[in-house]
Amino acid sequence: MSKDNKSISRRDFVKGAATGLVAGAFAGMGMYSYTSSAYGRLPKTERKMQDFGACRSVRVTNISETSWFNNAHLIGDIHEAGGLLVNQYTLNWAPFANGKGSAKGSYDEGIGSIKELLPHDLKKAWEIQKKLALHPDNPGGYSCLIEVESLDGSIHKYLLDTGWSYEWMEDSFKREGIDKMLEEQQIEALFISHEHWDHFWGLPVTVKYDNRIPLYIHDGFYEEGLRYIKDCGYKGDMTVVDKPITEIVPGMALLKFDVPIINRVFGETSLAFNIKDKGLVLISGCCHQGILKFADFAHANLKYDNDKFYGIYGGLHISPFEDWDPKYDDLVISLGQWGFERIGCNHCTGHLTAKKFIEAGYPVVRGTARFRSASKDYLGNGDKISFGC
Amino acid sequence: MDNSSVSYLESRKLVKRWSGPIPALVNTFIILAFFYVTWWIFQDPRGLMRMYTPYVGYMVCRWLLILFIWVAYIFDFWPFKRSWLRNTHPLIKGTVLTLVSVAAMIILIKGFFIEILGNFGIAYFDPGRLEAMGITDFYSIEYAAEAIMMFAAIASWLSPSWVVACENAPWQKLDQPARGITIAVVTFFMSMIVYFLTMHSHMAILFYPWQKFTAICPPYWEKFANTVSGNFHIAWIMCCTVVVWLFETIWERYPFNLIKNNALRRTASFFGIIAIAVSLCFFLYYAQDLVWGETIRGTRRLMAPDWRWLHVGEMAIFWLVPSLYLTFYCNNWPTKFSRPVNVCIRTLLTAALAALVYIIYYKTSHLFLGTQKGFSHPQQFPMIPMIWLINIFLINIWFMDGWPGWKAVPKTAAELEEVKEEIVAHDVRWTPGLAKGLIVGLCAGVLLYVVIINALPWVGANFTIIN
Ligand SMILES: [Fe+2]
Ligand SMILES: [Fe+2]
Repeated sequence: MSKDNKSISRRDFVKGAATGLVAGAFAGMGMYSYTSSAYGRLPKTERKMQDFGACRSVRVTNISETSWFNNAHLIGDIHEAGGLLVNQYTLNWAPFANGKGSAKGSYDEGIGSIKELLPHDLKKAWEIQKKLALHPDNPGGYSCLIEVESLDGSIHKYLLDTGWSYEWMEDSFKREGIDKMLEEQQIEALFISHEHWDHFWGLPVTVKYDNRIPLYIHDGFYEEGLRYIKDCGYKGDMTVVDKPITEIVPGMALLKFDVPIINRVFGETSLAFNIKDKGLVLISGCCHQGILKFADFAHANLKYDNDKFYGIYGGLHISPFEDWDPKYDDLVISLGQWGFERIGCNHCTGHLTAKKFIEAGYPVVRGTARFRSASKDYLGNGDKISFGC
Repeated sequence: MDNSSVSYLESRKLVKRWSGPIPALVNTFIILAFFYVTWWIFQDPRGLMRMYTPYVGYMVCRWLLILFIWVAYIFDFWPFKRSWLRNTHPLIKGTVLTLVSVAAMIILIKGFFIEILGNFGIAYFDPGRLEAMGITDFYSIEYAAEAIMMFAAIASWLSPSWVVACENAPWQKLDQPARGITIAVVTFFMSMIVYFLTMHSHMAILFYPWQKFTAICPPYWEKFANTVSGNFHIAWIMCCTVVVWLFETIWERYPFNLIKNNALRRTASFFGIIAIAVSLCFFLYYAQDLVWGETIRGTRRLMAPDWRWLHVGEMAIFWLVPSLYLTFYCNNWPTKFSRPVNVCIRTLLTAALAALVYIIYYKTSHLFLGTQKGFSHPQQFPMIPMIWLINIFLINIWFMDGWPGWKAVPKTAAELEEVKEEIVAHDVRWTPGLAKGLIVGLCAGVLLYVVIINALPWVGANFTIIN
């Protein structure tokens, strides 16, 4: 009898223990996880403070920020093809169009129609592609010239991105004298921020004027992108960036972010500068990684003057299609705390974002709305911004 | 007691057609094949209909889930007769019931949300209106789909809760369709209230300027959740949805089924589910902070609070998949111990399997779903494929009696008695031994939690899922 009792009480003990184990774990989760003491014990990240030198100033010339001219047409094409996850090379936009309609494009057929003409006869190539593509007059492009003044006073020139439409980009390059600079090999490198149509597909325009310019791309480029670089006649020295931080010249570093991006693109590289006595300047193409992630990464890894966030230039990829999401308001609300002194934004930042930044009282550098840029709320085509001079 | 007085799902017993693991293997194979074919047809961004835009596909899979719950749980298959359910080939039954659900879903989305609510009540439910006010066609549809989808997220918690936790009370004695209509209407009404309290502000700040006169902007949860995004609510509501089903399947309604008083048991179950879900929600959020570091408000993706809240819901759904699988296809293994022990083992086992499914998903899904590598693509929602898969589980088990591996046979009178018995369980009684065990167990549970939160930063530092 007592043996039975023992086994019953042992069985009861096990039942209780099994129940308690699950209940106790949930109780711990509920009562501790989201409390301030739980957060008090999170390890503080140690800053690496990598010294990448300093430069005196950086000047940016906006060659083009108008990646497309009609937002409804662009997003309509994406919509028709099946949304934001569809492979960009199949959207049937120039220069990879084949005339078969939405979502039926292919890299091979597109490039097949113009390969012989690249990079010398871009006019004809674009004409051919315009006949095959959806909304052929919509493409523009994103590209900017970056002039870095070293501490010794010498100037280094770089291109960030090379736009989209051959036609538009040639005109834009000529407007800002980029064609001459390329021909004279004054430009030391071309950085492709990421593989998107509006930053990368205009590559033949750069190659036409300098087919050996050192080229930097993210290691997340897809096969089509890598073939395109060859197919447009590029013969130079290409660096496939596979490290988080690549120092270019003193005070200038290329930072790599591994993020999946809309329409099957992977990864973005952006530029960081340390301006003597001023602080950190961040320049991006689309900034798909997010401007604060970009700033936070720099904060965690780099050493810069005054330990201060000084300036921003580029697309911030907030509301590129004039779309919105409450999470974007999180940025509008919190950007002020980061203390940037000069915010030069455009392109996929979105007009609405710029407007909200201005309403929030942030130091947004205004533009002139020339050359088909749509708003004075931000830096338009042909506008310049300088940091540190 | 005859078997028409209990629901169809309770009146039948699924028996294996073949012995051993063959039925589970056959069904798994067929389900995965069906998943992939339908994924390609409906969702895949490379496939035929490409509903993964993402919000359209998201809305559809969530609403299908609700409709399946309504058909099987709330309406008990009304207007289909018991005899039809019993005698029709599972393939035909599955097809008919799925198509009926799809039709009902279309009527509800298009007829109710877009045409009635969107045209006479709240403009953002109707894409046509948004477009007319200057929003691009794509985002008009995405915004409306997002709102309609969020409504489904809430209903997917409340509707089954009413059956599982509240035991259909106080309408359990009503016949169909009166009971179904009542509970559908009541839970729809409650979902509407929760929608206004949780998601309406989210939708209102989607538009410029913030729609301050019609919704609370910025929303009241801003400080607490460190974001103005409604994803904070998605987090705990998805946890509620998942916990309802854990409670119904692997937990067999334990431990709340020990409460004899009807009202108390039902109330305790309903609020107990919420309490457990909120605990899970806080833990999953904190776990991410431990692995990836503290969030930065205003940034995007992995480091953003709004994304972390969303990911809480996503992780919870990863737990639901192995739990349903265990119940449906593994006969709720293990069953040989006492219920508390079975429940405990299943909980730990499915949690471990959830982690495994999570890892496999993020390591491989980009290879076949038409999506991209990475955790935090802003337009990728792992909930879409997971719910799509769960929907197929439900079609298979609820609408097709587990065909082909299983078949339905009516329960015997004795077995039906057991069903009744199960509402209040008598297998666990308060004894000193139980109390002792409970205390020891509670301490061990807390210890387990402490071990996990101490291990997570190490996991974050030493273990990468995506290279
Ligand atoms: Fe862009
Ligand atoms: Fe981009």
